[in-house]
Amino acid sequence: MMPMDFFHHTFSDVYARQNNWLTRIDVRVKLFYIISLLAINLWAKNIFIPSLFLSISFIVLFSIRIPLFAILRSMLIPISFAILILIIKGLHEGEKEWISLSIVGCKMTFREEGLRSGLHTCSKVLGGISLVITFSFTTTISRLCAGLKWFRVPNTMVELLALMYRYIFLLFDEVSTMWTAQKSRLGHASWGKTIKSSGTLCGLLIMRAFDRAERTYEAMYVRGYDGGSILTVNLSPWRKEDYASFIGMVFIAPMLVYTGNVYVW
Amino acid sequence: MGFFCFGKGDTLSRILSVFTVAFFLFFAAANTAYAMHITEGILPFRWVVTWFAVSVPFVGIGVYHVKRKKRTMPSYLPLVGMLGAAVFVFSCFPIPVIALNGMATSHPCGTGMSAVLLGPFVSVLVAAIALLIQALFLAHGGLTTLGGNIFSMGILGSFSGYFVFKIAQRCRLPLFWCGFLAGMVSDIFTYLGTSIELGLLVINTGGSFFKATAEIFGVFMMTSQGVLCIVEGAVVGFVLVFIYKRRPAILFYLGVVKDDTKPM
Repeated sequence: MMPMDFFHHTFSDVYARQNNWLTRIDVRVKLFYIISLLAINLWAKNIFIPSLFLSISFIVLFSIRIPLFAILRSMLIPISFAILILIIKGLHEGEKEWISLSIVGCKMTFREEGLRSGLHTCSKVLGGISLVITFSFTTTISRLCAGLKWFRVPNTMVELLALMYRYIFLLFDEVSTMWTAQKSRLGHASWGKTIKSSGTLCGLLIMRAFDRAERTYEAMYVRGYDGGSILTVNLSPWRKEDYASFIGMVFIAPMLVYTGNVYVW
Repeated sequence: MGFFCFGKGDTLSRILSVFTVAFFLFFAAANTAYAMHITEGILPFRWVVTWFAVSVPFVGIGVYHVKRKKRTMPSYLPLVGMLGAAVFVFSCFPIPVIALNGMATSHPCGTGMSAVLLGPFVSVLVAAIALLIQALFLAHGGLTTLGGNIFSMGILGSFSGYFVFKIAQRCRLPLFWCGFLAGMVSDIFTYLGTSIELGLLVINTGGSFFKATAEIFGVFMMTSQGVLCIVEGAVVGFVLVFIYKRRPAILFYLGVVKDDTKPM
């Protein structure tokens, strides 16, 4: 029932806090890689490039000992979307009949062009999402904020991102406790009660968030906050490895773009 | 007639049939339905650029609003951050999908509520950050589809919810109904936005944009999301009434209500 359990397991930076070769790479290099590779993934006209990204992401994640279950749990929703797209496109696009079957009297015809197009989109979804989770499994929010700041994302936006991320976990815990209390007192015995209980719970959540905002401001004020920047993480200067990774990408990108443009299938 | 009737290539058909049924069973048994975010890799490059170009000015104005207010009222930043986090958590609430007899749950958008509490531009900014967090840490949505998702959930959801709330207040409707309409309409516009974005994809393949958009929107509304709009509206209504009864000062401080507001 509780997607909050799902969030607690998926929404965790425990892997990003480990010390391994990927977490040690500078966040600016990682951001540069992820943006370039996602663009190439979108640009690709065949399934080779997205499949390559998917396989490399898995290899890279296994190399830093991320459990397969954790990867699959993160990819569960995109995988279901990808399969849905494959089926919908296969059923609706194209003329040439590839296969037909009947399920409980309902005839379904999969078409060749649709399945090809669906497989292409499906591979892009999986390729893209595998890149994103590789990034999120290896980057903490503080590093991400510092990287975004370096890329000239407005300070206010980065500060809000840091604040929101920091308090989401706290509010999740409070809500989980209140939710369990409501359930044990039959607050969710019917749909009507669930809606009303959710309203009460969210009202309490807003009130607590408001109070916490006041307390947080007071704590920030006594530490000298006057409306200026609240981010304190600074990035270290680029190392030789970072320069090498950056230049490596500059060379690899054209090859990937070229390969992605070849009509293999 | 058996459960399956095969065309050509029996072994392949059998595998495909089992796979299809397994997939539908997986969906039917899935605990949570996520539908309002377009996932990574779906939008072609030119639509990615287009939707980012549409969304960035709104996010920029939101940043400007927060920055300006932060200068005169330093407590505004933690307030927006905290309320943004609260709305994010609210958007993760499991709401039973009544159309599926409670077999699955869906979750609210939350933009209607954030627009009512924080104003439309700041709500767009909060939605953009929430979508970024979801894309990065939950693989829900995507980085290349962020612009498109900000347009549907952030811009359309926030502005529709905010204006409907203000119109309902002008019509002197009780607070519950103002919140109900804001929550419901912002949800409907979010799904409409997503349908438009997906509908636009058929233009290249020679399909009809209006037909595709209507079909996608129809599917959204007829499955879990139609009922969810009403449920989210009711929840937002109850939230506002609850806060108004317990701590009206919060709503006065945020400029949500005036002295002559009727709660129910």
